[in-house]
Amino acid sequence: MLQAHSILWHYLWVAPHVLQVALGIFLWHKGLSRKFPAFFSFALIDGFAQIILYTADVDPKISPLTYWHLHWGTLILEGVLKAAVIAEIFGHVLGSYETLARLGKNLIQAAGVVLALAAAVAAAYVPKSDIQGLVLHVFLLEQAIYLVESGLLASIILLSWYFHLSWGRQIFGIALGFGISSCVHLATWALITNAAFPPAKRTLLTFLNMGTYHFCVLVWWYLLAFQEDENLQPPPTIPPDDHLSLWNRELERLLQQ
Amino acid sequence: MSIAIILVVAALVCLLVIVGMAVVRKPQLSAASSGQIQPLDIDAFRNLIDPREHEYLRSRLSPREFRRVQRKRLRAATAYIRVAEQNAAFLVKIGQMALASPEPDKAKAARQLIDEALLLRRNATIAILRIQIAAVWPSGQFQGGAILERYRSVDRSAMLLARLQNPAATARVSAS
Repeated sequence: MLQAHSILWHYLWVAPHVLQVALGIFLWHKGLSRKFPAFFSFALIDGFAQIILYTADVDPKISPLTYWHLHWGTLILEGVLKAAVIAEIFGHVLGSYETLARLGKNLIQAAGVVLALAAAVAAAYVPKSDIQGLVLHVFLLEQAIYLVESGLLASIILLSWYFHLSWGRQIFGIALGFGISSCVHLATWALITNAAFPPAKRTLLTFLNMGTYHFCVLVWWYLLAFQEDENLQPPPTIPPDDHLSLWNRELERLLQQ
Repeated sequence: MSIAIILVVAALVCLLVIVGMAVVRKPQLSAASSGQIQPLDIDAFRNLIDPREHEYLRSRLSPREFRRVQRKRLRAATAYIRVAEQNAAFLVKIGQMALASPEPDKAKAARQLIDEALLLRRNATIAILRIQIAAVWPSGQFQGGAILERYRSVDRSAMLLARLQNPAATARVSAS
């Protein structure tokens, strides 16, 4: 059951990406593609790219070398699309506040540089194993993309947490799916690339990755298709008058001095 | 293997942060949480950061005694700034709730309040860091005027939003 090319393996590779393409079509149909253009592009383009990659894997006419070249190209495309989605999440959560937009941008850019350096260092110190050449490069690129992705998402979340900013349900759903997926993938790719596991264990980790991604696509479906962005109800009095009067009186005293 | 362990730990930490967000995502603002706005004794805070007071104490006390007193004053100033910081955080929540208002004036006032409160929170964080550094060798003068100025600005924004949300309540405040 938990072997490469088993029925479960085929299902876990194909189903999430078919669901992802369907989600893209749904977003377009509901007009949400205008609200989340980067995520819409990711859902469609990455979904199709993964289906093509799956076809290349199961087609005996495609050589392993061609497959790994294709995988490499898909990863680059995925990295660019994910960067656009992270920028979109940032724009929705922090970018709309004048005060925070610049500070947040600087902090996130700095975090991006640090994470890219960390990914480069991790790649430079990869131990020797039976994985070499193009396959190793693909594994390292996977590790780097997930390291930067999870780090940037965590930074945006921490920043918004600190400033007590609320998230809309839909953008929260997008970030949650990406966040869970990137963290689990980072851990598994770090083990696959660096821990010199035998192929059977690597296959188990691949199953974990595929299962997690399937779960995340379902999270996206649930929060984007079945949940509306809630309208927060303003409190009846803002702020409570008795505290406000005390506060105001103190400030008035300051102003009069 | 050590790189793998480091990256797995990093992934777990990020996962905790992200899942933690899922728990505390929605701003909770109930009637009970309105107690989060705490009155702030501006006079006392002004006194703590007053350069004349600082010079007076320096001239009257021995260097050792002055440092001891100054450390206490810096600790007290930190406590005041933390209150202002907490108030700002609460006002961000209020502003975000009012942002959804269909009335353009309210939405605009809410955005202004959020911007001011965010700036205050950012400045307060920097100020606390500076105080903590100053407390190591408390001979210099801490400049806290910017915090006061920002606090006044946030208050004006809160007043504007309050007036738009509930004119009757604001009239009571103005009269007090």
